Amino acid sequence: MNLALPSVRQEAWRWSDLSGLEAIADAPRGAVEALDPSAFFLDLGGPRLVFIDGVFDAASSDPQGVTIGPVDAATDHPLGRAATGTGWTLSLGTDHATSGPVEIVHVATGGANHLPGRIALAADAQASIVETFLGIGWTNRLTHIDLAPAARLMRSVRLLQREGFVSLRDEAEIGQAASLVTIVLGAGEAGSRIDAALNLSGESAFAEMGGTLLCRGDQRQEAAVVLRHAAENGASRQTWRAVAADRATASLAARVEVARGAQKTDGEQSLRGLLLKRTATVNLKPELEIFADDVKCAHGATVGELDRNALFYLQSRGIPPAQAEALLTRAFVADALDRIGEEKVREAFVKDADAWLDGEGVSGGSAT
Amino acid sequence: MLKIENLHAEVDGKPILKGLTLAINPGEIHAIMGPNGAGKSTLAYTLGGRPGYDVTGGSVDFAGQDLLEMEPHERAAAGLFLGFQYPVEIPGVSNVQFLREALNSQRRNRGEAPLSGGEFLKVARAQADAMGMDMDMLKRPVNVGFSGGEKKRNEMVQMGIIDPRLAILDETDSGLDIDALRVVGEGINRIMRTPDKAVLLITHYQRLLDYVQPDFVHVLSAGRIVRSGGKELALELEREGYGALAA
Repeated sequence: MNLALPSVRQEAWRWSDLSGLEAIADAPRGAVEALDPSAFFLDLGGPRLVFIDGVFDAASSDPQGVTIGPVDAATDHPLGRAATGTGWTLSLGTDHATSGPVEIVHVATGGANHLPGRIALAADAQASIVETFLGIGWTNRLTHIDLAPAARLMRSVRLLQREGFVSLRDEAEIGQAASLVTIVLGAGEAGSRIDAALNLSGESAFAEMGGTLLCRGDQRQEAAVVLRHAAENGASRQTWRAVAADRATASLAARVEVARGAQKTDGEQSLRGLLLKRTATVNLKPELEIFADDVKCAHGATVGELDRNALFYLQSRGIPPAQAEALLTRAFVADALDRIGEEKVREAFVKDADAWLDGEGVSGGSAT
Repeated sequence: MLKIENLHAEVDGKPILKGLTLAINPGEIHAIMGPNGAGKSTLAYTLGGRPGYDVTGGSVDFAGQDLLEMEPHERAAAGLFLGFQYPVEIPGVSNVQFLREALNSQRRNRGEAPLSGGEFLKVARAQADAMGMDMDMLKRPVNVGFSGGEKKRNEMVQMGIIDPRLAILDETDSGLDIDALRVVGEGINRIMRTPDKAVLLITHYQRLLDYVQPDFVHVLSAGRIVRSGGKELALELEREGYGALAA
């Protein structure tokens, strides 16, 4: 595929390293055996979908109301535009809900795979979607979200790929009094770019996007979110925690735009970075662009190391240094994952974060 | 139990302890008193193994082991408890989680089986009750939002749960009102006043010693013990001040 990848000279991509993407894309599929996706379903009672290298795997899926076919999604986003064509669609009518949260497991075995998804919720409809990314290679996703008045969507995304790169592009229109919450956990070994443009187009809309990026080795993960308040009385929350060990780089760019007429907007943004080693890097870029005069936008951005006093206090009570560090790091990321609504999902995500903190790594597929 | 010989230690290259010698036997409570800057807290942190407190000479034997060769968590597992003058606040980590992990780390280090959640809660509840601390407080993040008195009370609950052989209590009485002082003093007696345990009480004032009767009182001045005696020495210091000794 001929890709016109963005350059680091572009402001929105200055912390990205996409230089390895073409090589990953040219590598063959099937470099590792596909993992058994069933171990990653959480038994939430809703539809289940498995995509292997971006291809729907009917044998291990139970899509119920989720359809597979051409997806009505277009974008000019440099990575997202590669992920068009056939994909999945969840479309719910007025006041409808799925039988339980939709679970999607994406398994990659090498090379590149691209897949679009579309979520369209009519007025008062409700859905929850849990996505898990496993394996190796370049996994590229475009997700279009359309929320009619008072529709509610909870998305929980965990990146557990062992190798390669995961790029996600979300584009959302959030209607009047509708609510979108997206929480992301990056606890794999692959690079990542989580990229979103969320538009609060209806009055009193709510949008939240946040999560935790855990990075080690030479890993680079980043989130770049643009959240636009286009109507009055909207509220938004962005709570991101970035942890970087070794020579890893974690970057967070979160932008809030408040349009001229979007009075009474209530925005909150909390970006915090934790350096576990002096050789690691955390980049934070909070941005506010406000054209209305009656708004409340709180923002905070801090980068630091673990508190030495706290570390010694824990050790003086008998906790070995590595465990003390893990305990404090877990506390650091906890509030970002607390926002996941379903208890089972939250517990699974916390367990993945714990596995990362305990140094076990996450099973992204065994090499053949 | 604890044998400190000619201990020299420095902080940021500045010598603070300058040849301190002290022996503590099982069943004894020792009080170390002294003016500000004498090296009282440095002694506590040096014995606890805090980074930045560098030993430049001397030796410390703890129950037959070289204390100075051990990591802070190993000192704890060997039975040493350090009570902090300023207990640290740890947002996001509950007391219960912290203490269970601490106790079980120590048990693993000693080759003992870890306690289950239920077993641990039973121990924790008994110790919290004994210190008049609500279990709800134990579920809250470590020391976050606790008053000065509650933090010191929490130190005693921790000491009760961990059940050490030797407690080094650094100005445990600072910031306490009279009632809290009595509760903390009773806690120290209840947990540590046994023939096989010992306490090193570091304090600036005599008043805690009304509740915890020391067997020996030492005066620390300019990094050395300049005088030792019985509990009457504490009263004398209270009357005469440290000035007379330093002179």
